[in-house]
Amino acid sequence: MKKILSLVLAAATVMALSACGSSSNSSASTAASSAAASTASKDTLILGCDVNFAPMGFKDGDNVVGFDIDLAKAVIEDKMGKKLVIQPIDWSSKEAELDTGKVDLLWNGLTITDERKEKMCFSKPYMENKQVIIVKKGSDIKSKADLNGKNVVMQKESTAVDAWKDAGITANVTELKDNVLCLNEISTGRADAAIMDSVVANYYLAKQADQYPFVILDDSLANELYGIAVKKGNEALMEEIQKALDETISDGTAAKIATNWFGSDTMYKG
Amino acid sequence: MDFSVMFQQLCKGSLVTMQLFIIVLPLSLILGILVMLGARCSIKPIRWFFEFYIYILRGTPLLLQMLILFYGLYYIPGIGPHLVITSRSFACTLAFTLNYAAYFAEIFRGGLLAVDPGQYEASKVLGLSKSQMYLHVVFPQMFRVALPSTANETITLVKDTSLIFALGIEELLQNATNIVNSQATFVPYIFAAIFYLVLTTIPSVIFKKLEKKFDF
Repeated sequence: MKKILSLVLAAATVMALSACGSSSNSSASTAASSAAASTASKDTLILGCDVNFAPMGFKDGDNVVGFDIDLAKAVIEDKMGKKLVIQPIDWSSKEAELDTGKVDLLWNGLTITDERKEKMCFSKPYMENKQVIIVKKGSDIKSKADLNGKNVVMQKESTAVDAWKDAGITANVTELKDNVLCLNEISTGRADAAIMDSVVANYYLAKQADQYPFVILDDSLANELYGIAVKKGNEALMEEIQKALDETISDGTAAKIATNWFGSDTMYKG
Repeated sequence: MDFSVMFQQLCKGSLVTMQLFIIVLPLSLILGILVMLGARCSIKPIRWFFEFYIYILRGTPLLLQMLILFYGLYYIPGIGPHLVITSRSFACTLAFTLNYAAYFAEIFRGGLLAVDPGQYEASKVLGLSKSQMYLHVVFPQMFRVALPSTANETITLVKDTSLIFALGIEELLQNATNIVNSQATFVPYIFAAIFYLVLTTIPSVIFKKLEKKFDF
């Protein structure tokens, strides 16, 4: 008994000590969070990102990649000369993360809405996006109106929910944690349609065409614009970012990144 | 789908999960014993404080406690911004320890109630000192009764670590979700389930062995 106990304690001590040192996630986020203490003129900016939002921000092995990540690197590291730290966050807590200073900015397919404008300081829009309807190939749903009374799924806390409410269609709606779960609902037949960002839909349907034999309807729900957000009151930082972003767009870097991810220059031209 | 990358990510996640588990378990067990003793204290205010502690921490979801600890303290008028916990891991460890201590306190109290009053009387008759009585007679019996429930809570702790995604920490389940989302496949979730089974088997086996040892 004593032998087992001492062995277990020894193993526990080793693990606990390695916890203090190695775990790259926790130590990186500790460093990142302590750097979030002051505002505009510091050298490291922490970007709060939902790393389950392909193709804007998602994980490839250990690295966070995506269109927004590449654009953020170009703007913040190349143009502004500051260090960029990506902090994965729970998207439902994004307002709290920004407000309490745990992250400096949100840049992850964040749609500009009037409601959000009241709580955060937004940049000018940099990309246009639509909320589209995805159905199985050969489904008899051809337009918004056909959705009446059907089973529809979408990601919770996303603007798909807002767009749906504005559209005023009556259907059985379920809100799920992420978009892949929504696509799976169509595969299993539990849902007839899913609403999500066109950007995300195009990415998944292209990537896993055999797994998702779905079509995107031409009829879309809402046109929206993506922007970058910082904490309300941090206007000075936003001005710096906006200036760097404008330069990145005008010198063609943004167009190159967009073409890399989406096949063409999808930057918002205003 | 790249299986080696997936395994690597799931192993990394398991490491984070186990690290939290290894730190929280002993801390919450010890705090649990202290809270239980506090709730039996003869000094009324101390007893009320600990009973209130148990009430609050068992009565609200762990997820909510984590969110309040990490984001909520900031909003307290006046002292809020100075109370901020900067480390996400520390906030998680603290929330888990406080929460599980409340449950362990009640489990140990149950174990203590199960010790026959005759044991106390017999110890007195035999001339054992208070500390001898507690250490050699009462606690071993309390521990034996509390073992199955403690095993339950310990296994639950391994799985509850999946809640730390809410504070942006990447552990086993979240790493599986990342791959599910970047590759648009459900398979990582199946493997995550297997990983969790392996992780929970370790405490299960240890507690079974402990139960045999305490079968006096």
